[in-house]
Amino acid sequence: MRNFGTLLLKEEKAIFSSPIAYAIVSVFLLLMGYTFTSFLFLNRRGDLVHIFFQAAMLFLLIVPVVTMRLLAEERRAGTLELLLTAPVREIEIVLAKFVASMTLLTVMLLLSVTYPVVLGIYGEPDWGPIYSGFLGLLLLGGALVSIGLVVSGLTSNQIVAAVIALGAGILLWVIDTLGHLLPDPWDTILTSLSIVAHFTPFATGALFLSDLGFFLTIVLAGLLLSVRSLARR
Amino acid sequence: MTPLIAADRLTKWYGPRLALDGVSFEVMPGEVMGLLGPNGSGKSTILRILTGYLRPSAGTARLAGLDVVDDSLECRRRVGYVPEDAPLYEWMTVQELLGFMARVKGLAAGTTREAVARAMDRLALGPVAPMLIGKLSRGYRQRVAIAQALLNDPDLLVLDEPTNGLDPRQIIEMRELIRSVAGDHTVLVTSHILGEIEKVADRVAVLLGGRLLAVHALRASGDGQRLRLRVRGVADGVQACLERVPGVQRVTVAPEFRTDLATYLVEADEIPVAEALAAALVGGGFGLLEMGTAPTDLERLFLELTHEQAAA
Repeated sequence: MRNFGTLLLKEEKAIFSSPIAYAIVSVFLLLMGYTFTSFLFLNRRGDLVHIFFQAAMLFLLIVPVVTMRLLAEERRAGTLELLLTAPVREIEIVLAKFVASMTLLTVMLLLSVTYPVVLGIYGEPDWGPIYSGFLGLLLLGGALVSIGLVVSGLTSNQIVAAVIALGAGILLWVIDTLGHLLPDPWDTILTSLSIVAHFTPFATGALFLSDLGFFLTIVLAGLLLSVRSLARR
Repeated sequence: MTPLIAADRLTKWYGPRLALDGVSFEVMPGEVMGLLGPNGSGKSTILRILTGYLRPSAGTARLAGLDVVDDSLECRRRVGYVPEDAPLYEWMTVQELLGFMARVKGLAAGTTREAVARAMDRLALGPVAPMLIGKLSRGYRQRVAIAQALLNDPDLLVLDEPTNGLDPRQIIEMRELIRSVAGDHTVLVTSHILGEIEKVADRVAVLLGGRLLAVHALRASGDGQRLRLRVRGVADGVQACLERVPGVQRVTVAPEFRTDLATYLVEADEIPVAEALAAALVGGGFGLLEMGTAPTDLERLFLELTHEQAAA
């Protein structure tokens, strides 16, 4: 993993030298701030459950925009050939892209820490659900980045990559609805694939290893598939 | 001398399409080898296999004795590659890109700055060092691409269509650059333009439809001679028979499709070998159908070989 640091720096620079990153962070914080303020003044409740669900929905929409260029752009521009003919391993390339994208999401979440800080100053919130909510958002973001990375590795068209990743994320969000219509064991199988079913306990302060395992499995499967798609050439 | 590159029956399928059909050739250290052929003839596929970007469907390729698939990372450390159209990160400055590539190629932290300065100096990139690559002219982009390829002082420099899109002055500079690195580095260069290859390469491999038609020496040492023979018989046996003849330096085989005929290009020193070759073949029980002086004009050879291929 000697090259990981070099590749990560390059990916960070690619993300943060583009206006897309700043547009995404600004829109995310604007929408989150609006919802937080209006809910706080209307409901006068010291929890962030609705904020976490809104952040999750925004992640569904935003993450494909972050991940669409990761491999698709390198393939289109031909720089993937430059990278893969240098003495670097596919896993180093994939991990650098994953970690760089997660850095952007982490920055967004860190800036959102303002909301619990405000609650802490003016009230006495239950901190457990707040910690687990942020952990859930980080895991959800990881899973969505991983899915976006796989899709970006399959095409050289960024728009196609974004649309397919968006579709995959939304499908995994709503798949439990279909599960309710199907007989056993399909209902259980489809419900267990639902992102919302695994995210809800985090947002409401319940930590289950199965939910943690679900998101980590998606992350690992996505990374492995991305490495495979780069290695198969 | 051990060849730096030894490709043995390289084959590549892209789905149902056969892009490379059992291509074998060798390149000696310090040599400039040209790959010549029209678009789609398999030139870039060969380069991509040798640089580790693609894996062959069958056959092997060795670089300095290392298998390009099994020892891929070590092989990639010994290669500098300039892909067609010089793809580079347009959002990086020239200095940033060279620094990034130097680190990715595994140069030690202490030597990176020195290697970048040397490459920039060699390619005269000083004036554009702080500029974004996206703002550079085609000629400068090509120079940056070559500079990054030379950073790790590679055994093998691979250039895919390096004169594409350059103006006449830049083409002349590129030719001079390729000749100037020959000797220190082995160079493998492709082109679909006969004149370009003729001006820079020591030998040229002619490709058509994924098949190697012939390997032709352009800059033979001394007053050597080149003979072209068409012989019936098992290719390995004929080649061995020809190589045993005193004065013969190299024999290159171009088999004909679905026959036991093949064309042999014999490179020999100044001693006349034609009679000895004929005697050796007849004595070995092979059928000598034609023998003549190999054409030195590359264009004629190319047309002749592609015509034979079309007829077959």
